[in-house]
Amino acid sequence: MDINKVKKQWQGLTTAIEEVDYAVSGYDYNLSLERDKVRDLAVLMLDEGFYLVGLMAVHVAPAIEMVYQFAYHESRCRVMARTSVDENGEIATISDIFQGANWHEREVRDLHGVVFIDHPYLHPLILAEEDVDLKPLLKAEGKVKNVDAIRRKPPEPAPEPKPKVVPEVKPEATKNQEQS
Amino acid sequence: MSMDIEVLEDSSHHRYVLNMGPQHPSTHGVLRVLLELEGEYAMHLLPVLGYGHRCHEKIAEFKPAKSFMPNTARMDYLGALIYNHGFAQLLEKAVGIEVPERAEYIRVITSELNRIQSHLLWYGAYLLDLGAFTPIMYAFDDREHILDILEDVTGSRLTYCYFRVGGVSKDIDEKFVTKTRAFIDRLRSRYSLYETLVNGNVILENRLNDVGDLNPHTCNRYGITGPLLRGTGVAYDIRRAEPYSIYSQFDFEIPTATKGDCMASFMVRFRELEQSLRIIEQALDGLPEGPVMAAKVPKKLNIPAGDYNSSVESPRGELSFYLVSDGTDVPYRLKVRTPSYSNLSVVPEMCQGMLISDVVSAMGALDLVIPEIDR
Repeated sequence: MDINKVKKQWQGLTTAIEEVDYAVSGYDYNLSLERDKVRDLAVLMLDEGFYLVGLMAVHVAPAIEMVYQFAYHESRCRVMARTSVDENGEIATISDIFQGANWHEREVRDLHGVVFIDHPYLHPLILAEEDVDLKPLLKAEGKVKNVDAIRRKPPEPAPEPKPKVVPEVKPEATKNQEQS
Repeated sequence: MSMDIEVLEDSSHHRYVLNMGPQHPSTHGVLRVLLELEGEYAMHLLPVLGYGHRCHEKIAEFKPAKSFMPNTARMDYLGALIYNHGFAQLLEKAVGIEVPERAEYIRVITSELNRIQSHLLWYGAYLLDLGAFTPIMYAFDDREHILDILEDVTGSRLTYCYFRVGGVSKDIDEKFVTKTRAFIDRLRSRYSLYETLVNGNVILENRLNDVGDLNPHTCNRYGITGPLLRGTGVAYDIRRAEPYSIYSQFDFEIPTATKGDCMASFMVRFRELEQSLRIIEQALDGLPEGPVMAAKVPKKLNIPAGDYNSSVESPRGELSFYLVSDGTDVPYRLKVRTPSYSNLSVVPEMCQGMLISDVVSAMGALDLVIPEIDR
């Protein structure tokens, strides 16, 4: 795999490509893409010899975020590709490209209620059949954070010392007050 | 085996469905597989999961990340320390805690001991599935030594919670080192026993050769990792590909085979025993003095907002913890990608058209641990 060639192909599919510090984050590339490009990306990754590590959902506002993780055998290249589901909570399946996604998608359907369009057998896998609408990993109302809240903050905003020190202590203090 | 037999309406009259599990000895825990049979051939397989589901990922969202450590041990009960390792490392990376060198050495030594005992249990239990009763006695005899060694230092025999964010909970002593060295010699002296008793056995060869074929492309499509992947000729091991902890300092090989059948992964696992011993030996030789816990680990571990991934090589393949944080000490979302989950998902494709007895061979070669699949 020639990473520069792959990157060029990513550019056509993604809205943003971010190189991430492996020492902190544990992966190399962070791709953001529109939801209709998910299948194209999966085809590209399979052709380039990546394997599907897994896929998962995060319940954030405004829409549930889907994260697809790929990795490569011959050299270190761990990729997170993220997109969001549409207003009906639906997204296209990639289980016909990466067959391993079949179960991961069924699990996401169980835990988050995301519906995968054209999935061959979207039947409860992890949960019991009677719990099909339980969606246990959806956050309680009021607990759902905006997607910006889970994004990595830009490193060291030099001019003011506040963001470095204060957020370490302050949320703790306020949180304790809330609890008591 | 449950005798829940029903005639299918939509296929020819001699097809019927047989429930294998959830209490079947060769499903190792509570896995159920629906077999649609034609005679003794499995024409269609449908694994049914979730009997041991505890929703660890939901539990993780309700308490400080640090206190999730015992839960990790209860997913894969055979690789508890490796799960500890992956999770501790995830938080250390995210918060930026330096682990003392001695602690890293101890982590590697105990993790590799854990890997050996997992392989030994698989070795015995797999052969038991295949109808050979004797080997499990020998394997458990060896495994018992590891459990004793680890019990002294961790306090438990199976679901260890020994690693902490920033190090390990207790230092190892001279007794640990002596016992571990004695174990290395012991296991090495047993290879010839295993080889003459099992590995060249004609029944074993007939049961494993050309059964459960995999190839690298199939592995990519399903996300199969670990000894199964290495059995297809791909030398992929996270300890080498993305060296974590101090694995880059050790000299070890990644055993591979080329055929991709059950025999290939069988031999890969067997040869991995020696590689783990080599790592332990080198780690014991180079064991530095010093503290086993980082000096300053904050009591409340606020994880900066963002997402973090930590992948380690479990006895069964790639284990990844993926944490999404909103800046507090409680994870916003934690995803555990377990190797057996992806490995098992190939069964419907891999076992289609097999004899029932070959299905047992093929599923045993996956080295399944059901609680890590169900989580």
